[in-house]
Amino acid sequence: MGCSSSLPANNAGAVGNINNENSATDSKNLRVKLVLLGDSGVGKSCIVLRFVRGQFDPTSKVTVGASFLSQTLALEDSTTVKFEIWDTAGQERYAALAPLYYRGAGAAIVVYDITSPELFNKAQYWVKELQKHGSPDMIMALVGNKADLHDNRCVSSQDAKEYADRNSMFFIETSAKTADNINQLFEEIAKRLPRPAPS
Amino acid sequence: MEGGGGGDAFGSATAPLAWHDFLERMRQPSAAEFVKSIKSFIVTFSNRAPDPEHDSVAVQEFLENMEGAFRAHTPWAGSSEEELESAGEGLEKYVMTKLFNRVFASVPEDVKSDEELFEKMSLLQKFIQPENLDIKPEYENETSWLLAQKELQKINMYKAPRDKLACILNCCKVINNLLLNASIVSNENPPGADEFLPVLIYVTIKANPPQLHSNLLYIQRYRRQSRLVSEAQYFFTNILSAESFIWNIDAESLSMDERDFQKKMDLAREHLLGLSASSENQDNQTNLDVREQKSQANQNSDVNLSSKDNLHGPGLDIRRDSDVSDKPVERVQSISDLEKKGAAELLKEDDLYKKFQDYPFLFGRAGDLTVADVEHLLNSYKQLVLKYAALSQGMSVNLETPPVQSMQTVSDLVESEEPKNVKNAVNINESSEGSSKTYDDIKHGTLNSEVDNMTTQQTAVDPSYQKAQQDEATDQPEHA
Repeated sequence: MGCSSSLPANNAGAVGNINNENSATDSKNLRVKLVLLGDSGVGKSCIVLRFVRGQFDPTSKVTVGASFLSQTLALEDSTTVKFEIWDTAGQERYAALAPLYYRGAGAAIVVYDITSPELFNKAQYWVKELQKHGSPDMIMALVGNKADLHDNRCVSSQDAKEYADRNSMFFIETSAKTADNINQLFEEIAKRLPRPAPS
Repeated sequence: MEGGGGGDAFGSATAPLAWHDFLERMRQPSAAEFVKSIKSFIVTFSNRAPDPEHDSVAVQEFLENMEGAFRAHTPWAGSSEEELESAGEGLEKYVMTKLFNRVFASVPEDVKSDEELFEKMSLLQKFIQPENLDIKPEYENETSWLLAQKELQKINMYKAPRDKLACILNCCKVINNLLLNASIVSNENPPGADEFLPVLIYVTIKANPPQLHSNLLYIQRYRRQSRLVSEAQYFFTNILSAESFIWNIDAESLSMDERDFQKKMDLAREHLLGLSASSENQDNQTNLDVREQKSQANQNSDVNLSSKDNLHGPGLDIRRDSDVSDKPVERVQSISDLEKKGAAELLKEDDLYKKFQDYPFLFGRAGDLTVADVEHLLNSYKQLVLKYAALSQGMSVNLETPPVQSMQTVSDLVESEEPKNVKNAVNINESSEGSSKTYDDIKHGTLNSEVDNMTTQQTAVDPSYQKAQQDEATDQPEHA
């Protein structure tokens, strides 16, 4: 599996995109609402906590739960992206509420657990939902979490990658436990965000 | 996405000092033009018939334009972003306190929704269990959740959208802190939305603040959009989604058996009425009998709800009334019969005190009341009277006693001078609270005298406000 191999090869896109699109914030400091979808138990909140805690400022106090967190990421092209990360409840009974959360989101991360085919199916349900009801220019990422448990793997990276490609998402496998690929996930989303035209 | 201070809904922007500063500046001669615009807006607005969509747009536009004007003119020209933000908050609070009576629950649909939601939650709260919502045992903490419920129940003490929003955010904060502590104790992963939302739903049902639906609409419509962003927006979305979930609660959404759910709802309804004794026989009777009993029970339910169990409850329930009158009812009891029956059964209850613990004013004394309680009490009183009168009418019986006295019969435990004192407090309220006489004041009074009135009101509310802010200082989450 490995992170680098599962990353789509468009890293140059970040620079190329800068002058392309319109967005709300100024061209150097972006702000984006990112929504997390996935069944309970796939480790949605662990991914975010790993991202928010493990970076730049190890003393960053996370005194409150991980349902809402924000984190600013500095990119090589000297832009910054402030992520406002909205977690959603993954239990089946709350599925109908998700549209309230992903409305207006600029990015979405759909998480499954690589040890569970069932949760991979559930992830595909979320992808379809987002395609039907989400904003069409939302950046979507498919994330296979718990990559550290490769002995129990049930969903092959190949299958997941193909699924993601077919749905114009980017795909990455992460481990919130070992922090593998966590930063890469958010960096890749940041790079793909539409850049506002400089005023 | 805009609005610098939006993410921090607890910032200093409308701390009492900032609010006084706003009022102070509005008194300066250089603010005369602003005062004129504000007054003119309020008068024009108040003279139009309610139309929520249009009203919301009008207020949002006005606030936006005024904030733009503040930026360019004395007494705010050259102020820092923070001061301008604070001025915007002050303006919002001022305008919305004035318009509150005109826009809050101003259309029949909203009033009806309030009643339905309130009723649904008062039934659900009798039997819902944490596991029905996927709350894991290690996070269960009903006693501490009371703290969160209390925060949410404060929502009707305030008129400004930000203050109401703060009650919701404080409630969420308490829940988050409890979850975090529980996760540390049980060595679980830090809690996310999987843990948070179910507890918020549970707490909302248990708290069942009156007019929740209208409160949420009010915040959505009249909280300045540029300030309802980021963290505040997230937690506000959570309570909207809690509301949506509660509306749609059925057997399936609680993982309950359909018949079991219905039975529990019926039992809850009867329990609410103190009729559990008669309901025990129902199962043995024929279908027809059960139906008759049920229609009887429904009737009893409303009467009792209005006369004792539901002091806080929403008012006139016309829909139910007409339902009842459609049904053939064989044994019509008079209101006083029903009341005596209910009272007798109540007295048999071992935990009589518990039954009334949801109604904090019942055992309160005049000295315990704050000015902020008065509006709540007055609303409850009005709803009580309307409901009592309507139900009496619906049952075709004459009003035997004025509702206030019937309250006294229900609560012989309460000192008899209580209602009188409450009345005094109501009068105090009317003279000190500018917003309760919005229309006339705006037309004849001066803004300055209103400003003074509002200052008084704020002082009365201050203690809990400052407390909330102190809490903030200690456990404010830090986001990079």
